[in-house]
Amino acid sequence: MAFLMHFFAVYGNLVNFIGINALMALGLYVTLSAGQLSLGNAAFAGIGGYTAGILTMQFHAPYILSITSGAMLSGIVAVLIGLPVLRLRGVFLAMATLSFGEVVRIAAVNLTITGGAQGLVGIPNKTTTGLIFTVLALTGYFMAKLRQSRIGWSFESIREDEAAAASLGVNTTFYKTVAFTIGAIISGLAGGMYAHLNFIISPGEFGFSAAVQLLIYNIVGGTRIWYGPLLGATLLTALPEVLRGIGVTAGPIRMCVNGIILLLVILFLPNGLISLLSRSSSIAGPRP
Amino acid sequence: MSLLLQQLVNGLFIGSVYGLFAVGYTLVFGVLDILNMAHATVFTLGGLVALWLVEGSGMSIWAAFPLAVLFSGLLGLVLDRVAFAPLRQRSDTYFSGLISSIAMAIIFESAALGLFGAHTVRFPPNTIKTDIWRIEGVTITSLQVEIVLVALILMGALSLFLHRTRTGKAIRAVAESERTARLLGIHVDGIIASTFFVSSALGGAAGILFGLYFDALSPDMGRSIELKGLAVIVLGGMGSIPGAILGGLTFGLSEVLTVAVTGKSNLRDAVAFTVLFAVLLLRPEGLLGRRRAREV
Amino acid sequence: MKNERFRKGYRLILVLILMVSVRSVTFAAGQEVKIGAALSMTGAAAAYGATQKNGIQLASDEINAAAGSDGIKIVPLFDDDASVPQQGINVYNKFINADRVALIIGPTLSNTAQVTNRIAQQSGVPVLAISNTAKGITDIGDYIFRDSLTEAVVIPNTIRVAKEKLGIKKVAILYGDDDAFTKGGYDAFKNALSEAGIEILSEMTFAKGDRNFSPQLTQLKSLNPDAIVVSALVEEASGILSQARQLGIPATVPIIGGNGFNSPALIKNAGESAEGVIVGAAWNMTSTNPLNKHFVDAYTNRFGSPPDQFAAQAYAGVYIALEAVKKAGSADNRKAIREAMAQIKDFDTVLGKFSFTAGRDADHTPVVQTVKGGKFVVFGE
Repeated sequence: MAFLMHFFAVYGNLVNFIGINALMALGLYVTLSAGQLSLGNAAFAGIGGYTAGILTMQFHAPYILSITSGAMLSGIVAVLIGLPVLRLRGVFLAMATLSFGEVVRIAAVNLTITGGAQGLVGIPNKTTTGLIFTVLALTGYFMAKLRQSRIGWSFESIREDEAAAASLGVNTTFYKTVAFTIGAIISGLAGGMYAHLNFIISPGEFGFSAAVQLLIYNIVGGTRIWYGPLLGATLLTALPEVLRGIGVTAGPIRMCVNGIILLLVILFLPNGLISLLSRSSSIAGPRP
Repeated sequence: MSLLLQQLVNGLFIGSVYGLFAVGYTLVFGVLDILNMAHATVFTLGGLVALWLVEGSGMSIWAAFPLAVLFSGLLGLVLDRVAFAPLRQRSDTYFSGLISSIAMAIIFESAALGLFGAHTVRFPPNTIKTDIWRIEGVTITSLQVEIVLVALILMGALSLFLHRTRTGKAIRAVAESERTARLLGIHVDGIIASTFFVSSALGGAAGILFGLYFDALSPDMGRSIELKGLAVIVLGGMGSIPGAILGGLTFGLSEVLTVAVTGKSNLRDAVAFTVLFAVLLLRPEGLLGRRRAREV
Repeated sequence: MKNERFRKGYRLILVLILMVSVRSVTFAAGQEVKIGAALSMTGAAAAYGATQKNGIQLASDEINAAAGSDGIKIVPLFDDDASVPQQGINVYNKFINADRVALIIGPTLSNTAQVTNRIAQQSGVPVLAISNTAKGITDIGDYIFRDSLTEAVVIPNTIRVAKEKLGIKKVAILYGDDDAFTKGGYDAFKNALSEAGIEILSEMTFAKGDRNFSPQLTQLKSLNPDAIVVSALVEEASGILSQARQLGIPATVPIIGGNGFNSPALIKNAGESAEGVIVGAAWNMTSTNPLNKHFVDAYTNRFGSPPDQFAAQAYAGVYIALEAVKKAGSADNRKAIREAMAQIKDFDTVLGKFSFTAGRDADHTPVVQTVKGGKFVVFGE
């Protein structure tokens, strides 16, 4: 028991952030599972985080109302942005969502209500470890159910071959928007919880590098199944602590190890680390 | 009037640096349909290595420039070997290539940080003797003129290379269709490697010129140009060389004119990205791009 | 460059040997104080973390060498917060619960401090901030101190001196709007200018990482201001200076900056364009105070380049911490160290006579410097 107390004192925050990062990674996973490469999910987390923070601080809204409103607003913006943008494919979609993300970040820098560059300071600490992992478990369960549903099947078919899916009568625009929106809602929720964990949020935390980081969690973990991004987020969030533990000096070397891990995974484990754990046919194996 | 003229000069100058950065970026995309996210770190390393040559060995910039450009080109070969070639036969090569180039970007940036330190450094004063000319209230420096000239020469040389030489024609053939090129007996892997060499050499050259003019090199200097470079190649049309040049100039001018016209600068980047967003929605092939069968 | 690195390595080995040999003889007799240094060694603020680390290392080695067999020794533990709060919390938790440090120095960035210092406050671990200048850092609680003079103190003083000496009436402002430090500096400038009755002709912004400032400077030049007030960190500041002069803004129009400008890198990177720049700052690097002279020489010798303000405040921080430990009479009683630190008054540091205010903020005289002949000199006080 004493050991557990000590462990939590040193690594409690790490555990919390593993949960939050995993949730954010899941948000992007939904979009990726429909074959859509989005770099806008960090911005959705930002919308959720700022909305929740502002509601709590300015309007004294209850915590649950704040974070759900943040998630909903994120979802609404996703529908508005998604409808025109999801006509684009691959890199073009990535770039459109990236410019959306930059506009959101710059807006947060320039608005008064968001606190400008300094950010939103003094958000009460209301997110508990229990809540983070409850939400994460529910989201995971939802993902597993989704995968077996018609929606999940449609996502999968669009990811495999969009033209073929359309010819089979799948309403691709509709399902792509659904994937994008669910992803944004999850990211927005994670953003709201993050804001209530961190006391302060600032625009830079939701910029381009954050968007790329979410992508990296997914790739390292694997995007073939929902627990892939969970694994990726867990390992990479814990990595600096692990490196610290085994005595790798702080500084550029840790950064370099990060890059090398990403490179090795993409080169040798095309379906992510998850393919090491499970060799079931639904997950592993590069397709022809 | 001189105010507006000065702003036009500012815009054309920075635009030509953006253009030079973007031609290399877009070249790889044109041939492979892959976005090379490590391009900005090659830009950084090119500049830092040139500085290291000038400062460390007392070399003249005229000798250091080609050496550092060569080094950047070699980095391109490394990128191709390590990050792209092994993925080439994979069905998701466009996506996995993007990721492995992000990995290389992280590795390159950490190398720059480890080798050169985090500080912002500059070329020693008088690395290039600079004259300042003032004409009708407009200021132009000889360095600016030289940089624009070097950029134009390099971009011109690239066009000649692509249209007149065997390798250049082969690069264009591979860009059109890799399969057809293979059938024509072109050594595709070698051609792709030379594409990376040329692309990275140009990126490195842009980094050196940028460092020479702005007197500020640091391991993260690529970050500020990375997103702008993306915007430029989308604006010009992904894969189009003249488009990248035109896109660079347009982007440079729009940055300057937003400030000049509104008298405010805080929305400069927001305007740029909103324009990018609009271009993607209305004309995804960009200003000079062709509509691609496979928009990956 | 290679030579310099070699020399650095050589010195480091010497120091290590010295430390090990000294320690092996005296381990039993002396007391050791563990100080956690949470610094940004990678990420956006890596450049500042690097000199802070140097400053702390230098001070600790000096203290340990002078401690002899029965004196107090400093054990600095360095870790990287990667310039983000999330990593900062992990480092703090490790320092507080695993390493059980006596006190923490850092973190480099105010935004990280806003988050991490709450943990230290809850756990009752004293924190000495060495570079945070944002409002409200020390309001987090009574365990939070800082030796970095804020922009809110430095800037009004700078504007007052500049107005007295130069008679400026109308200025233009250029500042970074997406960074908490430069935005805070802008707010302070704006207040100070309006209180001094100086007219603001125009306000322009730039973004972090920008290197091209000519569009903004061209606009500002056309307004013919008496001076240009700039809130920027040194990376941007040097570019602003050289581009301003290149665009033909005459040397009679001075450029006025704050703490961010107070670095030898400003002169190194801006060259001749740095002449005449007015820099209000917390640390007077040209001070002939023997402590300061010793610091500048020792630092330059060891690291091959002169210190900046980040290094000076870090170096001073270790001595302030040592003083608190001595007064507390304990190397690990965090509460006693906090009490003792709050009592520190007129303590001689490289920053000058140093005291803490009742609100645990730094209290010492700021300086206004200018650059003449490639060197910082005092412009006024």
